Amino acid sequence: MDNIIELKNVSYEYSNADEEDIAYTAVSNLSLNIERGSFTVILGHNGSGKSTLAKMLNGLYKPTKGDVLVDGINTKTEETEIEVKRKVGMVFQNPDNQLISSIVEEDVAFGPENLGLDPKEIRKRVDESLKAVGMYEFKNSTPHHLSGGQKQRIAIAGMIALRPDCLILDEPTAMLDPKGRAEIVDTVMKLNKEKGITVVLITHYMEEAENADRVIVMNDGVIIADGTPKEIFKNVEMLKDVGLDVPQTTELLYALNKNGMAVPTNVLSVEETAQVIANYLEEK
Amino acid sequence: MSVLEVKNLTHCYGGNTPFINDAVSDVSFTVESGEIIGIIGHTGSGKSTLVSHLNGLLKPTDGTVLIEEKDIWENPKEIRKIRSKVGLVFQYPEYQLFEETVFDDIAFGPKNMGLSGDELKKRVTEICEIIGIKPEYLEKSPFDLSGGEKRRVAIAGVMAMRPQIIVFDEPIAGLDPKGRQDIMKIISEYRKATGATVIIISHSMEDMAMFTDKLLVMSRGKLVIFDKTENVFKNGKELQKIGLNVPIVTRVFYKLKEMGIDVPLDVFTVEKAVEVLKNAKAGDRNA
Amino acid sequence: MLKDITFGQYYSANSPIHRADPRMKIVLLITAIVFIFLSKNMYALLFSCVFVLAVLLISKVPFKIYLKNLKAILPILIFTAIINMFYSDGTANKLFSIWKLTVTDAGLYRAVFMATRIILLIFISSVLTYTTTPNDLTDALEKLLSPLKYIGLKTAVHTLAMMMTIALRFIPTLVEEAEKIMNAQKARGADFENGSLKDRAKALIPILIPLLISSVRRAYELAEAMECRCYNGGEGKTRMKQLRLKPMDYVICFITVLFCVGIILINLI
Repeated sequence: MDNIIELKNVSYEYSNADEEDIAYTAVSNLSLNIERGSFTVILGHNGSGKSTLAKMLNGLYKPTKGDVLVDGINTKTEETEIEVKRKVGMVFQNPDNQLISSIVEEDVAFGPENLGLDPKEIRKRVDESLKAVGMYEFKNSTPHHLSGGQKQRIAIAGMIALRPDCLILDEPTAMLDPKGRAEIVDTVMKLNKEKGITVVLITHYMEEAENADRVIVMNDGVIIADGTPKEIFKNVEMLKDVGLDVPQTTELLYALNKNGMAVPTNVLSVEETAQVIANYLEEK
Repeated sequence: MSVLEVKNLTHCYGGNTPFINDAVSDVSFTVESGEIIGIIGHTGSGKSTLVSHLNGLLKPTDGTVLIEEKDIWENPKEIRKIRSKVGLVFQYPEYQLFEETVFDDIAFGPKNMGLSGDELKKRVTEICEIIGIKPEYLEKSPFDLSGGEKRRVAIAGVMAMRPQIIVFDEPIAGLDPKGRQDIMKIISEYRKATGATVIIISHSMEDMAMFTDKLLVMSRGKLVIFDKTENVFKNGKELQKIGLNVPIVTRVFYKLKEMGIDVPLDVFTVEKAVEVLKNAKAGDRNA
Repeated sequence: MLKDITFGQYYSANSPIHRADPRMKIVLLITAIVFIFLSKNMYALLFSCVFVLAVLLISKVPFKIYLKNLKAILPILIFTAIINMFYSDGTANKLFSIWKLTVTDAGLYRAVFMATRIILLIFISSVLTYTTTPNDLTDALEKLLSPLKYIGLKTAVHTLAMMMTIALRFIPTLVEEAEKIMNAQKARGADFENGSLKDRAKALIPILIPLLISSVRRAYELAEAMECRCYNGGEGKTRMKQLRLKPMDYVICFITVLFCVGIILINLI
């Protein structure tokens, strides 16, 4: 098995600025491998430690205990810091605060320019990346005039232009409207399937995990569940307990069970939900 | 008596801002006292522009806004008085906090209305009681609170002005489920205590189905539907035409119907769905 | 109110001046300004007027847009003109007197001369901002200042360019945010229009504090995002867009040189 990212007994502790003692532990003694080419979703409510975890995956934060290896390179090694960031791209929640230039194509070029690539190569990558996220026709626009979903896609393009092996997205849809959310989830799915980019999507919307290969649920800095979407979603009680957003289909199946109607709860889409209810109604 | 009436409201933004496509054209509707109205529509459909007219932040290019049957622009000098009658809570209201203590921040609105001393104190403590902000919080700095708590304080700041109509622009955006429940709870508690009229903008059809009496559907700056929430969702086709949808649970019932199962289509909440399916199963057994 | 603030007033059109190399434009602008100032007599100034008007026409930016710029500095213009009107070198003929001040023909001539000069300066400078995108300007400045790196100011040049880029990117965002906060405080009954100057200054606090807090937050997030995009202070950075001089640039340069020579000759008259 080929892992792009390996976490070995990783902890992250925030300490008080003026004191030596630990203020609070965001991630505690966590071990995790991310397989190359996979689509992993990390679910957790605000403050579950998922954002801190995300920032450790590309070396933006260094673990206070344990090690994070990206393609075999320890993120703590100073000489390879840039290399690690290039291999593992990161997209944040607020699209406004990650765009640097007031012209779309110049923004996408920022990463490759930092790598010191040849202007022709940069141009090629910028065009490719913008096409990959479906924003090529906006290359001369100003981000300020685009919708949230479009801005977030530009941010993704800016990362893709670095040709990363892996893309971490830290709640990229939290500030978007339903249309924007759908755009981002579709774009990320496409990058994973067509370009083979490993994706780690961090979110508190359960429905975004529907098509993932693997779902990890975090709470209080530890992993409390890890499996395929179907395995995870059947445990509705646990998901609600840790304050996750449960889609209304799950809510319905769960409520039916509570009322003595034994329907399986591990489906998410409207179609599948209708199907299991139909099956149940037809049982005599 | 209608508490709010909007007549042929039109608002065009200046010609040199071609990118803000959020104009409103010829919108009319009437809201009765105590109703809960939901406003739905895509980003840029004119929802935010519409609600900014209700408390006089924007002046209509054409048409009138009547609060308690009085034109709010009758005397433009008095427009600030409207702000205490119609409270407007913007998206991410926590970004408006600025005072040193929670108390001072909540008191900002009432103070602007001219209250002071004991009267002011009473206003603030009253609203905190209604929506459950503990007294020990009042001396804290608002910037030390968690995201959800900050939003609660910001909303309290508008509620402390005791508006008869209170408008929320996506009050639960960006919160987790717990935070969302908290906010919806304080909205209904304020309403219970004061009998205020509530207007909510949201993208969540599920929440709209649960909380609102009537829905106002905006598309491209025009009001396309204004009707009881159940009637709006019954006409799912109309909504889908403008790219909006019915609640997920309703979609499940549409699907069941398509599959040839005899279920009603006016199911908009999980509770109703459970009830209907229970009866369907029981009916099966009896048949 | 806040919407009136324009920054980077690029006016999109397709003229030879729009297409010209921004570095060339900056250098030529400075040259032209110097020579407009060197215009000593009426004829030289008239020649400058013709030159500037020709440039305005070629730029394909509507004349009324240039006039808009003029409106902003109208008070300064009038002030300068009035001050100059009362200038007298003793030999001048007295035209009329207001109170204790005397207006002479020389003073009047001087006032018109100065005002025209300022108008020309405003016009010619606006040509640069109207025909060049802010990003091109930043780029050109970085290139023009790049010789400074030989005297050990390499990072300074890059930092300056980076700062300008970020400022251009965030000014509209922050203006929009200020507007949102202002509306939110207005909805809480805040009054920005009435009261004494002191009251009004105080009324800005509820806008400035939230704006400051959010800017700091944005800055932190932006710094992290830049780090994630392999930014390391501009070391070994390349540029996607390379500036290259085209034949047209030399033509424009030649015309400007002609203008300068013209001014020198006319000054001799």
